[in-house]
Amino acid sequence: MAHATHHIIPRPLLLKVFLTLVALTIITALTGQADLGVFNFLHVPLAIGIAVIKASLVVLFFMGLKYDRPVNALAFIIGLLMVGVFLAFTLLDMLYRGDIGNLSPEPIRGPQIEQVEAPAGH
Amino acid sequence: MAGVSEAATGHAEAHAHHPPYLQHHFVSAEQQFDAAKLGMWIFLATEILLFSGMFVAYAVYRVWHPEVFQAASKLLDWRLGGLNTLVLLASSYTVALAVHYAQLGDKKRLVQNLWLTVALAGVFMVVKYFEYSEKFHHNIFPGGNYAYEGLQLPYVGQFFSIYFVMTGIHGLHVLVGMGVLTWIALRAQRGDFSSEYYTPVEISALYWHLVDIIWIFLFPLLYLIH
Repeated sequence: MAHATHHIIPRPLLLKVFLTLVALTIITALTGQADLGVFNFLHVPLAIGIAVIKASLVVLFFMGLKYDRPVNALAFIIGLLMVGVFLAFTLLDMLYRGDIGNLSPEPIRGPQIEQVEAPAGH
Repeated sequence: MAGVSEAATGHAEAHAHHPPYLQHHFVSAEQQFDAAKLGMWIFLATEILLFSGMFVAYAVYRVWHPEVFQAASKLLDWRLGGLNTLVLLASSYTVALAVHYAQLGDKKRLVQNLWLTVALAGVFMVVKYFEYSEKFHHNIFPGGNYAYEGLQLPYVGQFFSIYFVMTGIHGLHVLVGMGVLTWIALRAQRGDFSSEYYTPVEISALYWHLVDIIWIFLFPLLYLIH
């Protein structure tokens, strides 16, 4: 019958995952407020790294993708890959705009631009 | 005519051999479950792509104006954001428990955990309401309507455009999730689900976990990174 093939995730495991998620939330909140001194540049990678670990725990255990049919993981991973393509190509365009040919390096200007003086060199 | 009545008899016989929740175009309950679940995962992929547009906008404007993002994100209360993170994580846990009890056929605990999830989602929205009203009170509005005296920087309105659009669309997803989970809880109370058939519970839970995951990224990106 249907239920025989479905993996039932044990309750203690769900509780462990939840407590780990809470601990990671506290860690990310505290490190977010802390002054890391010379390691302040680590704020962004640390926060994003912890968020990725938390999201992975939710996907693997709460959503049960670890025990699920691989085709579901495939649908999900293709979605993530497309996000990667979207982000990577947009940032490439932004960071290297103007390096090739004579394209204008100016960003799209918002309505507030009149209030600021144009930065030197533009 | 004989053909028609034969077909009708055949139809009635077919009904006798399958459970009421199994639709005719599926071979088995297992196939119906797998199809529904794959459909949901594909939908979740499109949801991720919907939010990715906003995450990419965040990345672009942050790279352009990092100092503005750092200053503006300090106007958000990380304690409230952190509290809401814990509330959503708890609701993800309770909805995972709901699926667990649905699989075991424990109707009472299934219903309890579904209502608990709805209640936690409600707490999230209440906290969000207080956050939004506090911002509006200080004239912190998106884009060109931003008029907070305490922090005047060029482009600071852009941060709040991103903040309000991202948290707003996420909040809309929370409201939709509350509606869906209420419906599922009422159906569970009515006795629609069993350990043999609990597909709607599982699928709604998947949606709810995605709402949690989006917030797992929104919290550090908006409240913490400064």
